[in-house]
Amino acid sequence: MTDQEKDIIGLFRSDVERGFRMLVEAYSKKLYWHIRRLVILHEDADDALQNTFINAWRKLSEFRSESSLYTWLYSIATNEALTIINKRKRDRAVSFEDIGSILANSAEGSTWFDGDEAQVKLQNAILKLPEKQRIVFNLRYYEEMPYEEMSRVLKTSEGALKASYHHAVRKIEEMLGEG
Amino acid sequence: MKDLKEISGKDAFKVPDDYFGKLNDRIISAAMKEERPPANKGKYRKIRPLLAIAASVAILAMIGFGALKIFIPDKKLPGFPEISLQEFTENYLDDIDILTLEEGVAPVASFEKVPDLTSDEIIDYLILENIDLSDIYEIL
Repeated sequence: MTDQEKDIIGLFRSDVERGFRMLVEAYSKKLYWHIRRLVILHEDADDALQNTFINAWRKLSEFRSESSLYTWLYSIATNEALTIINKRKRDRAVSFEDIGSILANSAEGSTWFDGDEAQVKLQNAILKLPEKQRIVFNLRYYEEMPYEEMSRVLKTSEGALKASYHHAVRKIEEMLGEG
Repeated sequence: MKDLKEISGKDAFKVPDDYFGKLNDRIISAAMKEERPPANKGKYRKIRPLLAIAASVAILAMIGFGALKIFIPDKKLPGFPEISLQEFTENYLDDIDILTLEEGVAPVASFEKVPDLTSDEIIDYLILENIDLSDIYEIL
């Protein structure tokens, strides 16, 4: 556990609102990008991020200080992102395997996406991965999260995560090579 | 087509201007509208009522034991009869059938308890773990 996490947990006991403010300031940006890469749309990422922190606020008394705040928040954020994705799939019957389709079926369109051809192709390849593999790929590739921490966030063994990432990279490279 | 490593440098996703500048205040004010969570009291404070009960029970037991010692100083307290090891073995242990014991314990310790898995169940598990089946076929 980092010193910052210890300070936040200490504040939860003495001044819960100040502790929560410190928690939001420390993690909001990182969690936004984690969620955004999963849900694609900015408005969805914003909703999921807000829900993440509201859930964290409600469950604050359930947080066990021997575990890491960082992994606890990532678990909540991942669940919120998956909830939004499933809702989108149900409501709009959107194919979640094509970024163009996701953007075209949203109110924001491509306002907050500025990718070139290669980036569009990369995102489409990532979207074609199975859900859990996609999360593993994003956490490792973009956020460089150590497998040990990822194992606590996703409650999966480090070996399975390493295998999953390895296969994800291979599949993506194959898909990139196709075009 | 570009290699994966060449693409990784840039993030294609954008956010509105000053989004992160206002984000924290927005999240905090939304959360504060919710019911305030009970303070995280820490381990000791959580178990303090139990410790108080345990201490009370221990004190009562000590008082009770002291009272018995004072008011019945010479009389032996009722308890188990004193018997020798030989008497105990002959009267109790000899009555236990060791074979019956083994029959009761053996099935629990046996490896036969591991369920038989069909190939389909194994494949389902591998898919769940995102293992690429083509790799397994290559090895086989």
